[in-house]
Amino acid sequence: MNSLTSSLPTNKGPRPDSRERDFVDETITRRSGRPGALLGILEDVQEHAEGKYLCLDTLAYIAQRTGTPLSQIFSVVTFYSLFSLTPQGEHIISICRGTACHTRGSRDLLEKLRLELGMAEGDGQADKLTITSADGKFTIRTVACFGQCAMAPVVEVDHRICGHMNERVLTREVEALHQEKAR
Amino acid sequence: MPQTKLSIRIDGELVQAFAGETILTVARRAGRFIPTLCHFEGLRDVGACRLCIVEVSGSGRLLPACTTPAQDGMAVTTVSPRLAAYRRMTLELLLAERNHLCAVCVSNSNCELQALATAMGVTSVRFRYRYPKLPVDLSHPRFVLDHNRCILCSRCIRVCADVEGAHVWDMMSRGVGARVISDMNRPWGEAPGCTGCGKCVQACPTGALAEKGLAVEEMTKRGERALQGAIRQGGRL
Repeated sequence: MNSLTSSLPTNKGPRPDSRERDFVDETITRRSGRPGALLGILEDVQEHAEGKYLCLDTLAYIAQRTGTPLSQIFSVVTFYSLFSLTPQGEHIISICRGTACHTRGSRDLLEKLRLELGMAEGDGQADKLTITSADGKFTIRTVACFGQCAMAPVVEVDHRICGHMNERVLTREVEALHQEKAR
Repeated sequence: MPQTKLSIRIDGELVQAFAGETILTVARRAGRFIPTLCHFEGLRDVGACRLCIVEVSGSGRLLPACTTPAQDGMAVTTVSPRLAAYRRMTLELLLAERNHLCAVCVSNSNCELQALATAMGVTSVRFRYRYPKLPVDLSHPRFVLDHNRCILCSRCIRVCADVEGAHVWDMMSRGVGARVISDMNRPWGEAPGCTGCGKCVQACPTGALAEKGLAVEEMTKRGERALQGAIRQGGRL
């Protein structure tokens, strides 16, 4: 049962460190009091964290500070595919594999991007895929639907929705991200 | 404040209900049998098992009786060929999803899933069994959790969170990967919050949660009434 948990990164050095703890505390203060605050807290903390993921110790800390049961916080984090329990790349590119985007060629986009970034096939599950490049710069994810089917095929680059995507534009987006890093 | 009285029809019979009551409550009081697995007297309902679906006139969809509030003038059908077909399919899917091997189960002949399957004449399953390789958690000193028997009814989760107040259990992931977990998917025996009260074991409809050291057919659960008593007294089972 615990293969998932045991394969996850745990305490490598003190994490959450004091800076991360401060950020968690500040986020909780900012967001608490509203229903569903946990989601926002988790999202902010993940975005802020090194490796853009939620490690178990950070989750335990958030649970303790918000008075959320450990099991519930783990339930929330594993329910929403937005959250990651393993380190993600600096840039996250999500490709929609919903029906509309599929018919507009999102499979080719995914394949192109995968080859361009030199990524392996990834896990076998065809419907849900998350691969991170070896250098830790990029993570490709597939998602079910952004709700922007009129703009199919849709690709999300670092939380920015790009509609009517084609291979040329996608290559340009990736190049831009590479250059941004170089600067 | 006096409760608002409602009149609803269940299988043609006029029955009295009170505002806020679910169809299931009213139907059971009127002596109707509606099969359920995730419903447990005293716990909030979640509509997880979909076995209690009923037909409500005016609605094309089948509605779960356990979470649908009774409304004045409602006409409910609890028995029909359509309902029987869907309930049967739901049961078959539950059986196909995990490894429900009654012959080697501690809860054999004391299992709600098995009892319903027998009552509904499910002698074969038309879907291909998934045979997932799921682990058995033996880390707790007194109890055992066998994921292979779990139907994800979430009764253990609710009884632990709402009655015991420990919230050791919850549901991880979703869809076919969903799994009951203790704490952050850690072994049950390592959960600091677990009081060892055994309410989850008694609330479990199948052999997924059982006492240790029992052989086939030996796990008899004390059922809803025993749990109610324990809940009232705030004591252990």
